[in-house]
Amino acid sequence: MNSRQILIRDVLVLLAFAGWALALPHYASEFVTSMALTCLMYVALSSSWGLFCGSTRYLSLATSAFFGIGAYTTATLLGQFGWVETIAIGAGIAVVVAIVMGAAVLHLRGTYFAVLTFGMTELILHAVTYFEKSVTGTVGRVLTVVPENQVIYLTVLALAVLAVAVSIWVRRTRFGLALMGIGADEQRAQTLGVNTRLVKIAGFAITAAFAGAVGAAMAVRWTYIDPHTVFNPFIGFQTVLITLIGGVLTLWGPLIAAIIFSVLAESLRLQFPQIYLMSLGLLLILCVLYLPGGLASLRWATFKGWWTDTRDWAKDLKRELSGEKEREKQRAKRREKESHFV
Amino acid sequence: MSITAWIELIASGLITGGIYALVALGLNLQYGLMRILNIAHGEFLMVGAYLTWLVQTSFGISPLLMVPVAFLVLMALGVVVHFLCFRRLTATSPNLDVFEARGLMVAFGLMFLVQNFVSWMWGGDLRGYDYLTEPVKFGEMQFAANKLLVFFLALVFAGALIVLMRMTLLGKGVRALMQSAIGAQLMGIDTKRLHPLMFGIGLGLSGIAGALLSMAYTITPYMGQPYTVTALIVITLGGFGSMGGALIGGLFLGVIEALGMHFTNPSLKALLSYAVFIAVLLLRPEGLFTRKSRKA
Amino acid sequence: MSEHAIPLLEAHNVTVRFGGLVAVDAVSANFTPGELVGIIGPNGAGKTTFFNAISGVLAPTSGRLAAHGRNLTGRGPHRFAAHGVARTFQTPRVFADMPVAANIEFGLKFAGKRRRKYLFWGDEVDVPWALRDATSILALIGLSEQAALPASAITPSQQRLLEIGMALATRPKLLLLDEVAAGLTEAEVEEMARLIRRLRDELDLTVIWIEHAVTTLLRHVERVIVLHQGRKIADDTPHNVVRNPEVIEAYLGDEMAEPGSETEEEVAA
Repeated sequence: MNSRQILIRDVLVLLAFAGWALALPHYASEFVTSMALTCLMYVALSSSWGLFCGSTRYLSLATSAFFGIGAYTTATLLGQFGWVETIAIGAGIAVVVAIVMGAAVLHLRGTYFAVLTFGMTELILHAVTYFEKSVTGTVGRVLTVVPENQVIYLTVLALAVLAVAVSIWVRRTRFGLALMGIGADEQRAQTLGVNTRLVKIAGFAITAAFAGAVGAAMAVRWTYIDPHTVFNPFIGFQTVLITLIGGVLTLWGPLIAAIIFSVLAESLRLQFPQIYLMSLGLLLILCVLYLPGGLASLRWATFKGWWTDTRDWAKDLKRELSGEKEREKQRAKRREKESHFV
Repeated sequence: MSITAWIELIASGLITGGIYALVALGLNLQYGLMRILNIAHGEFLMVGAYLTWLVQTSFGISPLLMVPVAFLVLMALGVVVHFLCFRRLTATSPNLDVFEARGLMVAFGLMFLVQNFVSWMWGGDLRGYDYLTEPVKFGEMQFAANKLLVFFLALVFAGALIVLMRMTLLGKGVRALMQSAIGAQLMGIDTKRLHPLMFGIGLGLSGIAGALLSMAYTITPYMGQPYTVTALIVITLGGFGSMGGALIGGLFLGVIEALGMHFTNPSLKALLSYAVFIAVLLLRPEGLFTRKSRKA
Repeated sequence: MSEHAIPLLEAHNVTVRFGGLVAVDAVSANFTPGELVGIIGPNGAGKTTFFNAISGVLAPTSGRLAAHGRNLTGRGPHRFAAHGVARTFQTPRVFADMPVAANIEFGLKFAGKRRRKYLFWGDEVDVPWALRDATSILALIGLSEQAALPASAITPSQQRLLEIGMALATRPKLLLLDEVAAGLTEAEVEEMARLIRRLRDELDLTVIWIEHAVTTLLRHVERVIVLHQGRKIADDTPHNVVRNPEVIEAYLGDEMAEPGSETEEEVAA
């Protein structure tokens, strides 16, 4: 029962990961714990993103929009509602927005969808700013009631574990199969009975729910929130980059990449933010061109393949530079001789 | 509102619309011909703007002169980018959808590279220079000279491209390829040379747009992003693959935005463009300015 | 069967227009359970476009489509699939990265899914025995040995069989086959025709079959619809269609040109 074994393996790894993350704050420094928190945040974001966008190839660049919605919900409601309720409401509002936007744009091709979600963050940022200015009269909000660091950490950890668990589970359901079918051949899947519109909206809503929840939880790390701080496109972009580089179709690729890049980010980003982002961009390009399955698909065979590819390319080049010239000369000579016989 | 106020408003809309049209034409070339959705398109506009600004502030060369230079530089850059980044995708992608998705991802990576390179080299502050800022009067109406120039040149270049596409053999070849890739190739049109060239021209156009923008507005490394989204909206408005449609669509969107911003609120500009976009998609997906001819 | 009163699928004046080109021009046809119908016509006659219209892949520009009396005009392919319309594509569209068995299971899990006898277990209700699971469907189409191979690894003619299997997995009442015999040898076409006939007989299906290999099709179907330049020019038994002057003119120079030719004798047999 190979599939059963894989399930057991996945669940065990997840539990081990969860256990390790739980124990971490007790023996590590505050700096490391803070880094772990960022890492867990990206694990949650990239796993849920990869779940929908990986299989269907509809690349959502709207993660920042949903993150911001969640964060803003916390900023507005945290005093009045409890911690868990606020996070749930944040996720809920994000889901509603996702359903509305999804219904409007998910029937388009994947590339149109990507560019549209790309602009969504700006759009929602402006909408929220306008709303704040005209309706409530405030421009930013101050967070007064803030839970302990321990609570934040545990919440984000729970979200990360939940995201991976949902990924593991969905892959085994009809819904997961529908997502894969949409990515493989959407029209064919439709003729086999898949209501692709509904499935896509549901998948998009799942990414929104997690992004919103994570945003709601992380908001308390800022004391003062205004639309520009929380609707920062960078968060969404980094999620996309991490998942794509890690291996968008795999379960563990995003997780491993999230860990690697959170570490890198914390060390590089503060000092050389642009270089960090430039290298992410470059890495993404290289990955798409030479390693479309992402880092998770790296095997010995891949390295061997690259080696033979480069060797062949060099041989080709040599032949071109030297051999062609030879042949051209011979062909020209032959033509000359033949023309004499005319 | 008086007539002059109306005309000024519409004119300012047309001016931004001209820029939109230029950028959209470039994107149309790339997506319509090669199915590469260059989400980094706006970043190259920004590069054109920075190039012009650099040359103007360091050497005092007139930005007008830089417009063709920006075009050539960006075109060369485009050919190189296409060769390095996109050519391999055609060989390794199993089908069109995967190719489009991968092209998008490569462009996404490019966006980071270019944006942060510029930010790293020249910092994230707003930059700008003054050029032809004296107002020009038409009767009672008043426009900044540089903005008028921007509009005029944008129209000239957009028109030039459309003429190129209609009249020259090259243009006809490109349009043939857009309609039927295999048919055109069977006719002997060489995509290996044509694709990088057209990609380059697309980028060159956004370089011109950037150079023009720098004349009248301030520039930052992040200015490019909104233009990419707007360009896509314009292409949809005008009809995917249609050059004339992109031109008219760009102008049209500029005017709608100007009117909308004036009567409601400037921060709702993005909302307005999106609303227009979604409305067009739902009601007339083949574009507002094309004849109804859905591809079979 | 008393259900002959309501046709399985009705197409009424279905027109599909692409800009200035009229691909399907006011074609009407009704299909009843258990029929084996062929659709023929010269190139560009609109056969595949008509298929696209009656399977929901394309929305007709005008006209009406109904299945079991339910109006399905303009609804998406998954609605048609839910009402028992299954189709294959001219070039096999299989899920290349998934194993052959998984390709079949796809249809079983979506349009082919039926209520179980005891809510969550027991056999599915109203399912033909031969279509009860992926293994039996594979056996039916003859791909049992290839079950574990990825769909990209089997030969094109096997992929065509897989296409049919995937369509069958949706437990359809109407099976649309788009040029499943294209490129096959004479013997293979015969085999395919026999398979199709068997499917119709054993599974109580209606089969609509587009084909270019007119000769073989005419031998096996009971009713022929002829399309020419988007219009239906004949809808009759093979015997009569072969003699129809309009049809002969449309096919001038093609296989079934003159009366008294080999085709006619075969059809009469």
